[in-house]
Amino acid sequence: MIIFIRITVSILIILLSNISLTLAETPEEKGLRLAIEADLTGEGFIDTVSSSQMTLRNAQGEESIREFSSKTLEVENDGDKSIFIFHHPKDVKGTATLTFTHKTGPDDQWLYLPALKRVKRISSDNRSGAFVGSEFAYEDLSSQEIEKYTYKWIEDVPCPGDEQSECYVSESYPVEKSSGYTRRVSWVDISEHRARKIEFYDRKDKLLKTLIFTDYKQYLGKFWTAHTLKMVNHNTGKETDIAISETKYQTGLKDSDFNRQSLKRAR
Amino acid sequence: MKIVIKYFLLLLLLTKASLADLKPSFIEFENEITFYAWLFPESPLYTNQKHNNYSIALESELYSEWSKGNNLVFRPFMLIDNQDNSRSHFDIREALYSWYGDDWESSIGVGQVFWGVTESKNLVDVINQFDAVYDPLFKTKLGQPLANLTLIRDSGYYELFVLPYFRERTSPGKKGRLRLDPEFSKGSTKFEGGSQWTPELALRWSNSFSDYDISVHSFIGYSREPSIDINIEDGKLKYEPNYQRVRQVGGTIQNTFEATLYKLEWLFRDGQKDSNFKRGGYFASVLGFEHTLYKMIGDVGDLGFLVEYNFDSRKSRSSDLLQDDIFIAARLTLNDADDTQMLLGSILDLDGDGQMYQVDFGKRLDDSLTFGIKGAVYQNGRRNSNLYVLRQDSWVEINFKQYF
Repeated sequence: MIIFIRITVSILIILLSNISLTLAETPEEKGLRLAIEADLTGEGFIDTVSSSQMTLRNAQGEESIREFSSKTLEVENDGDKSIFIFHHPKDVKGTATLTFTHKTGPDDQWLYLPALKRVKRISSDNRSGAFVGSEFAYEDLSSQEIEKYTYKWIEDVPCPGDEQSECYVSESYPVEKSSGYTRRVSWVDISEHRARKIEFYDRKDKLLKTLIFTDYKQYLGKFWTAHTLKMVNHNTGKETDIAISETKYQTGLKDSDFNRQSLKRAR
Repeated sequence: MKIVIKYFLLLLLLTKASLADLKPSFIEFENEITFYAWLFPESPLYTNQKHNNYSIALESELYSEWSKGNNLVFRPFMLIDNQDNSRSHFDIREALYSWYGDDWESSIGVGQVFWGVTESKNLVDVINQFDAVYDPLFKTKLGQPLANLTLIRDSGYYELFVLPYFRERTSPGKKGRLRLDPEFSKGSTKFEGGSQWTPELALRWSNSFSDYDISVHSFIGYSREPSIDINIEDGKLKYEPNYQRVRQVGGTIQNTFEATLYKLEWLFRDGQKDSNFKRGGYFASVLGFEHTLYKMIGDVGDLGFLVEYNFDSRKSRSSDLLQDDIFIAARLTLNDADDTQMLLGSILDLDGDGQMYQVDFGKRLDDSLTFGIKGAVYQNGRRNSNLYVLRQDSWVEINFKQYF
């Protein structure tokens, strides 16, 4: 008897949840569900190491180059740990940051200044600030945790620049008030949850920047990584391209590669 | 010319040794050359002192790794000054071999260590001596012979330093400005209670607890700052730098809350002579905050404000310029493609012993060339105070640094 009731209850729950999925799902719930699904496709990467070249271009077309590498470690039940190391230009060579991302609350961040041998704890409120003078803000490049945004699904449309694929358009609203945005609008393909385009709206809800992702490659039969990112600032006409020259997954990094001592050794 | 030969000989030797015989798996070699114009608008106080200095500095860095878990860094430095022979000097900034595992690191050789959180002064930064003749703002240090062991545990970072040899602070020569001894009749340096080879010991613990970064240290060894004994010899005044052995405990606390950093450095020290040549214990602290307004300047530039109060229980008996002073500064970071940065600071003595202003501006001219302006103004020092001695020595430095 008890077993029978249990089965009935579970059938009821399944039915109800199906109904809520198909009928009663609000755009907000759908937005969150898609964000969680997209996040799950990236889960289990364990660690990554990558090297990148960044090209800054002003409205007159003058270019300058930055080179950096990064290491990221997946952390269970919390945000990722990461280290950014700058290689070029020469005067910032060896400058590095260590970030402990948290799902809720501010991230912990340390900056290493090689000329002074100084490790300085810095405010994560700099998230809205320009990353080494580029059109990317720190928050555009930091580990994207589900809890840092609320979501809303808008519509399904053909993907921008790739009419064959179907994309969902979704808006995300930053939780941290130190964010430089009111909202981001993302075009993500339905088949693989790859972001194709993101529009960033500033604090006055005016379109500020557009980011386009291309050159996706799949690693370990699972993880998709875009190798070219192009950010355009509509206010200033400035652009920044990131070309990721190399990405490696599951390189065997350990927690001990992400502390203040290893930050000083980063090269 | 001797230092130039010494510099290249050493560099050649080490490059050859690490390249040919030891076959490292990873090697990097970087050089930088800097041209300085160091200008003093006011006429010098003492005969022999000159108006302006022009100098060239050369710094190289050789870094090699053999396998994951060990590395060697070698960084010689050389400065040639057109006026002051004592300012021309050679130093090994680093010659350090390190090896490490998951939860420890050890190193031996000549190294550079930074301890501290505040900006106006770092009371707790005790390992290295300052290269005062090269950098009168006390940011650049001489290489320190050391052996170090660092343990990384859940309860924090534990560092042990054994320092076998004491480095004297560099000081200007007869023709040099920012000189504290009018006669320039240098006596011999004294090391009270030992010699330059008397070992020193430092211990430090540090850790982070969410928004708090905390450290505590203890040090036994020579004070990095000399006291100046004035003796009369053959009817002439002799200024003798005199280093005393001190015992100290100190620490730092930083709280990072939103866009504000709250900072404290503190220190208890015993054994150092004050400006009345009396030995005794004292307490010193730097307490302040740094608040940054992000994206305030032209949509991307950051504007930071710094306020710090410097306290020294010896008050006017302290030989430190900062003993009852307020440091107020603004830091501008444009976040542009040239990395333009500027710090404007002022130090006001609350006892009415004058003010000091400082500026530090820097930007990149191209991928391997930077430009900087630094300066300091010393004003209204009370008669016979350290600031008074510097009253004619306000300066501005213009520099170009080329990387190759």
